[in-house]
Amino acid sequence: MKMRYRLLHTISFFSLMLLVSCTKRLDQKPSDGIIREDYWKTKEQVRAAVIGCYGSLLGDPTNSTAALPELLFLWGELRADMLAPSLGTTASQYEIMNVNTTSSNPIINWRPVYRTINYCNTVIDFAPGVLTNDKTFTQEALNAYVAEAKTIRALLYFYLARSFGDVPLKLSATSSDADITDIAKSSRQEVLNQVIADLNSAEPNAPLTYGNVASDKGRITRFTVNTILADVYLWMEKYAEAIAACDKVINSKRFGLIGSSSAWFNTLYRTGNSNEGIFELQFDAQKLNTFYGMFALSSKQFVAANRVMDMVYTTDEVNGLKDIRSDGASVRATDGLIWKYVGKNSQDLIAQSDSYTHWFVYRYADVLLMKAEALAQLSRGQEALDIVNVIRKRADALEGSNTHPDPANVTEVSRFILEERAREFMFEGKRWYDVLRYVKRNNYAQIDFLLDMVTGTVPANTIRATQTKMKDHNSHYFPIFEYELQTNKQLVQNPFYK
Amino acid sequence: MKKYIYIPLVVFIAVAALFGNCKKTDLRETTTQDPNILDYLQKDSLQRFTKLLAVIEKTGYSSAMNTYGTYTLFAPTDEAIIIYLKKLNVASIDQLKDSDLKAIIQFHLLEDVVQTSEFTDGKLPSVTMLGQFLITGVVNEGGVSSYRINRQANVAQPNVLTGNGIVHVIDNVLTPSVYTVAKLVEQSSAYSVFTEALKETGYYDSLNSVKNTDGTQRWFTLLAETDQALSDAGFASYAALKKKYCNTGDPKNPADSLHLYVAYHILPDVKYLADIVMASSHETKVPLEVITDKLIDGKKVLINDDEYTTLTGPVHEIGAELDQANSDVSATNGVVHRALSHLAIKVRKPFPVYWDLCSTVSELTRLSSIYRKKTYLFDYGDGATLKDIKWEKSCLKYRNGVTGYLGDYWQVGMGTSSSNTDGLGQCAGNSWIEFTTPMLVKGKYKVWFCYFQQNGDKVINVQGSFDSIPLTSALIQFHQKIASVTDTAGMEALGWKWWAGASKRAGTTASRMLGIIDVKATGRHKIRFNLISGTNSDCNFDMIHFIPVDENQTGRRFNPDGSIEVTPH
Repeated sequence: MKMRYRLLHTISFFSLMLLVSCTKRLDQKPSDGIIREDYWKTKEQVRAAVIGCYGSLLGDPTNSTAALPELLFLWGELRADMLAPSLGTTASQYEIMNVNTTSSNPIINWRPVYRTINYCNTVIDFAPGVLTNDKTFTQEALNAYVAEAKTIRALLYFYLARSFGDVPLKLSATSSDADITDIAKSSRQEVLNQVIADLNSAEPNAPLTYGNVASDKGRITRFTVNTILADVYLWMEKYAEAIAACDKVINSKRFGLIGSSSAWFNTLYRTGNSNEGIFELQFDAQKLNTFYGMFALSSKQFVAANRVMDMVYTTDEVNGLKDIRSDGASVRATDGLIWKYVGKNSQDLIAQSDSYTHWFVYRYADVLLMKAEALAQLSRGQEALDIVNVIRKRADALEGSNTHPDPANVTEVSRFILEERAREFMFEGKRWYDVLRYVKRNNYAQIDFLLDMVTGTVPANTIRATQTKMKDHNSHYFPIFEYELQTNKQLVQNPFYK
Repeated sequence: MKKYIYIPLVVFIAVAALFGNCKKTDLRETTTQDPNILDYLQKDSLQRFTKLLAVIEKTGYSSAMNTYGTYTLFAPTDEAIIIYLKKLNVASIDQLKDSDLKAIIQFHLLEDVVQTSEFTDGKLPSVTMLGQFLITGVVNEGGVSSYRINRQANVAQPNVLTGNGIVHVIDNVLTPSVYTVAKLVEQSSAYSVFTEALKETGYYDSLNSVKNTDGTQRWFTLLAETDQALSDAGFASYAALKKKYCNTGDPKNPADSLHLYVAYHILPDVKYLADIVMASSHETKVPLEVITDKLIDGKKVLINDDEYTTLTGPVHEIGAELDQANSDVSATNGVVHRALSHLAIKVRKPFPVYWDLCSTVSELTRLSSIYRKKTYLFDYGDGATLKDIKWEKSCLKYRNGVTGYLGDYWQVGMGTSSSNTDGLGQCAGNSWIEFTTPMLVKGKYKVWFCYFQQNGDKVINVQGSFDSIPLTSALIQFHQKIASVTDTAGMEALGWKWWAGASKRAGTTASRMLGIIDVKATGRHKIRFNLISGTNSDCNFDMIHFIPVDENQTGRRFNPDGSIEVTPH
């Protein structure tokens, strides 16, 4: 009898255990990781978390989605007019190039962007708590770290607002299952306002320097903050503010243009972190970028469109002059190979194992041309052209690419700046955003530019359909990826892709 | 007591069953869980398709739409069908004939899955079950762009994937065309003169029938000229047109010029504007006569607008524009386009084409640091490095600084790898290379191959072929100098000439007459060179002359500095 009771008790005990384990009441710490309660104790841990934010910009730590720079390249160039397909072009890339984007296209999956945003949110939420634990951690140091996180977050939301329009604005860390909530989209205006607010709060706290070149170019400094601010203001058509932000960078006298020489390409691009760099994603031998396979292997995904050499840079057969940014810098003219990320110098390819040319988020040339663009809008055409000519002179730009705009004509000057930006930032993931900014200005005054552009980028039998699609302004923004729509019921698809 | 032993066991099993799989997420991975088109229509949460379902039921298509297959259905909503019935002045679908309902369903159904990404400015890639094509496009209404089908309905919800195909929800019923090409033209007041010409030449009847004699569907594309276009060209009436063209007095005679004029406006297939712009030339009903087309800035479609270069300078022939708003008009047996100006058969006399094989390659000439400056090896890449030159394998050498016309030529290793010029490396030996010619006007030509002789001890035979037809008068022997005969006429009789000017003339500047070609249709053609025997690492491809057979074959000579000498004959 006694035996039986014991058995009964044992079985009851185990069934109780089953209940308990199901609701995870048995608390155990993982043996192969660290939990939040044990983290956020020292300033070193804060620093590591901030560096982790930068690390996640280089590539997905879990390797399950595309690396962010690859995505930024595709977002900035696929819909523009500088790429041509090659042997390895994928169906989803074609879909976007031909203006047939659907919500099942993996390129429009914004997950890599929001992942890094979450890392930034985590720093912003938890780093202040370290002050109480680590007495050697100062308020000033904390502010600097938070400024870095806020700036990265702002930069990424700026990309999202330009790529998708309205997006969900998540400003707190998702650190446990309880934090997972469906949030609806915020309007692009709200997103941009948040970006401005973050940047303004980061600006006074961001460091001026970290004491070494690699960190000054690879981490957020006050100049990075001002450069992003200028870009956002330009997008929001606030030109006086954009000029003020550019001037802060220019007047610091810390940056300059790398002069034309035989070492120009190597200094500016291949080696990177030059005097011209403001914010570069620091690939190195341990962390390679994905560009070699995209541009240099025989199964390459893209080559440069013919118009890059024929119309954008132009050639000079009589004197044999060339724009230093053209053949041997942006592109190898003989076969259209996209050179910027795979060239060792102007002639030799790098080896695949050396594919660590940086991704250039901002260069000093960008600050100058942004200022010129803002000046042009304020009818200060001659000042704008003076800046553009500095850029052109540095690059030995050819007379064939000079349209000699009338300084008093705002449209002509702006168009000239747009084309100069194409030459200067070829394949740096900026072209589509530059075009869209130009086109949408003053309530889409220049929509015809976009309609003309697509005649050269889509098949001849879909030109009229594509042009009519482009007249719907919602088509300039990506659809929301279908997985996001399924998992977040609050999200509403961009009406163009209904 | 024995009984109670089971109670905890039961509790255990129940608890295990309850919580054993406590992590189960239910994610929908498809746009619809409904398996087939019919189910999708029936289970639509908004109940949009009750009337369409009734029509499907009535016409017996329910089983087809509920079984395995690959269909595309353009599904009109209830509102769409109500609008349609109102237009017909009918109260309900029961009052329509079954055959009419069947035609409606067939016109909305394709036996192929067609997503919106395959929509173009023209027809869908496959035909409806009714046998007429649907055309697509995009319209922008109030700032919102949507796909438009057959200029009749907008797509309200695209690309609904189901088990047996795809559904596009549309906001209007699509109605098939009931007129033939001939009837469409006749009904329009804009084409009265052209209609008369169609009737007089007998083409009206063939454009009015839908089936061929063997029962297959007949398709036409007609480029109709408006009365305005004809009167602009000086033909105020049919009489004026007949007076100008009708040379035999019988317009029905296939050799009559008026008959040919009309036939020149008929393309023997269904080609919407989007199809026309995808190819550079199209056959007409006139044997071996083609029309060419051009898309200007993505806006204008021009017919027979041609530019080419002769020795006296570039020529631009102004073409006729097709009016986009009034073109792409579907008929039961084809499509009608409107030409805005008079389109006569191009009468072009063949003219000599002195074709330099390097200077016509745009991928080369745009390289200002290389073209006419240094030798360069073009990578094979994906085989499409140069649009108009294809070769077997490895790289292709552009050789500069040599005694060719313009100081350059293509230097190819045939059967053996090419020589290592300037330490650039060698390209593997090729057994063939193919060039796309410039535009050649219909006619007979002698083909002269101009090369710079090299490696006299390397015997090699290469045969040219034009559009796959071998040229048999002579093989190219790159090792062979020009025969040592002094008089030009005597050498020409043997099939040799010098291509270089007086000061550069040498045994090495040789040109060989490969054969006579008959160019059947005006346009660009392929000329290919195949290795027959031997090897030579420096086969120098410089120029090809296409000279009409009845013209002076030795009238022009070409120098490395680009100058051209005219020789007295």
